[in-house]
This record gives sequence, structure tokens and C-alpha cells, in this order.
Amino acid sequence: MTARGKLIAVIGDEDTCTGFLLGGVGELNKNRKPNFLVVEKDTSVAEIEETFKSFLARNDIGIILINQFIAEMIRHAIDGHMQSIPAVLEIPSKEHPYDASKDSILRRAKGMFCAEDFR
Amino acid sequence: MVVSEFEESSLLLDEKLLRFMDQLELLEEKRAALNSLIEQGWFSMSKARYSIGNKRVSALQYASEIEPLVCVHARTLDNGEVDFCTERSKQKGSNEAGKEATPIEDIGPQEEGVRRRNKPKKNITEKKEGEEASSEKAPEVTPSRKSDQNPQQDPLKWFGILVPQTLKQAQSSFMQVIELSAEIATLQTAVLNSRQELKQCRKDKPILQESSATQLEKHSD
Repeated sequence: MTARGKLIAVIGDEDTCTGFLLGGVGELNKNRKPNFLVVEKDTSVAEIEETFKSFLARNDIGIILINQFIAEMIRHAIDGHMQSIPAVLEIPSKEHPYDASKDSILRRAKGMFCAEDFR
Repeated sequence: MVVSEFEESSLLLDEKLLRFMDQLELLEEKRAALNSLIEQGWFSMSKARYSIGNKRVSALQYASEIEPLVCVHARTLDNGEVDFCTERSKQKGSNEAGKEATPIEDIGPQEEGVRRRNKPKKNITEKKEGEEASSEKAPEVTPSRKSDQNPQQDPLKWFGILVPQTLKQAQSSFMQVIELSAEIATLQTAVLNSRQELKQCRKDKPILQESSATQLEKHSD
């Protein structure tokens, strides 16, 4: 890597994080905070939101991947994110398939249309 | 002139709307491909768990130090859109581990010569020397273990030396997911950008329409 690129952060359940770490996105060392959060049953919404906001505040993260069912818990925080970088991608989980009607980006894109717009 | 401006803006609005629709369609196609690849990855991981055990493929196996093998470059274009592309680094871990592993480890006492067995005192001292030799070897062993935990190593190695093929398939699926994620991120910014442009054009349209109507009335008078 000639210039140091940005990281891909993951907020997901164990299987999601394991899969993406297998893919090589993970960063974990003593000096820096990890770029992933394994969400378990006892993980609080406050912790998830704090982690998401910390990822937004970092300037070395380009994309945040988040399971959609976790995104639903912090929907207000995701809807409030208007910047292009980092990009937030909602992905399905094993127990919760992807629902396009819940995706913040698609709701923003599709929600602008009404019958009068096509006159 | 004003009428032609109104017609031009209407044509521009139509073009932008069509472009927006195309982008949305492409985004949904890529999304479907991404979801399908992720499910494929999970299925492969489940098969790997079935063959090597549930806890062998879990968060417990993550290394204590990890360096990212893939990064994403974000480039902001003139029209406000952002282009994301992934870059995967070559793993140094396997080469360095290979180089460090080439010196063959000597097993056995470091001292040369025949050991004497007859005298018990000497046996005790020899045993102590043996223990010291083995304890001296212990620090020699740990450096090779440390090299096995190279932060840039292939994550597959966290799960053992001989991993099932299904785990490699899972890794391959998730690698493809990561590349698709960058494409989807690019499309998302493009869709939102198009939406903004459409919104602006729609705001300007009634103004242009009114001014063209007044111009037409003037011409007819």
C-alpha cells in the first residue's frame, strides 16, 4: 500500500465479525482501538451507539458495515449521519434478513417521490 | 430564450431522473449480490464449525494483535460523489515465518560428549543440567511462537494449521463481499448526490416555468 488507506469498520454479531475479520479488515493492537465490535446479547445499546459515534469521529475509517438489526437499535444516530465519509452500509444477519424499507440510505433516496413529482 | 431554458431544464430533469433510476436499480442488484455472498460465507462457516467444532470458529480464536490486510481509498469527485476502492496488501507473515523457520531447531542436550550414568550425585547434577538446558530452550521456542502470531498473517491461521476447505471458501466469500461493499458505498453516495440534484432542479422548474409563461404573454401581445 503506497498511501495508507482507510479502514473498514464492522459492528455486527459474532458470525459477521468473524467473517469480515477472515476477509482481512480487522485491526487490533495496544496503541489503537479496534475497528470492530462484536455485539452479543448482553451488549448495551449505549455501547453500540458510543462505538458507532467513535467510528464516525475517526478520520481513518472509510466504510462502516453494520448488521441491520443493530442499526435499528441506533437508527436515530444513523439517520443523523449525513456525510459521505465514512459510508454506512447496512447488512443482513443470520437471523434478520435485509429489509430495504428499513435502510436509511434507501429511505432517503426513495422518500422524495410523490405523484406530483412526475408531472 | 426563456422558453428554451425551460425546455432545457425539463430535459435535464428527465435525464437526471433516468440516471437516478438506473443508479437505484444497479444499487439493488449489487445489494442482492452482496446479501447472497454473505449468506454463502455464513453457510461455509457453519460447515467448517460442523467439521472442526463450534468453539474453533469463534471470537475466541481471534489473534491478540491484528493488522488490516485490506484498506479502502476514498476519492471525492468534482460533482461531490465519492469513489471507494479497496486495496489488499500482500501478506508478509508467511514469507517472514518461512525465513525464520529455516534454521532447524536442535533437539537434545547442547553439551557434546557421552553422559555418565553411574554416580547418583552426578546423575542429579546432570538432571539439573538437563532441566537448565530445557529451560534454556524454552526462550528459543517462544520466538518462533511469536513469529506465528505475526499481526499481518493470514487470518485463517488463527483457526489452526490445517483448516477445512469450507473455511477457506468462507474467507473467499467475505473477500468478495468487501470488494462489493466498496462498490455499493460508491453507488450510495451517487444515489444521494443525484437525489440532491433532482431536488434542486425541481425547485428551479416552477420559477423557469413562470418566467417562460410571462415571456410568452409578452410575445403574444
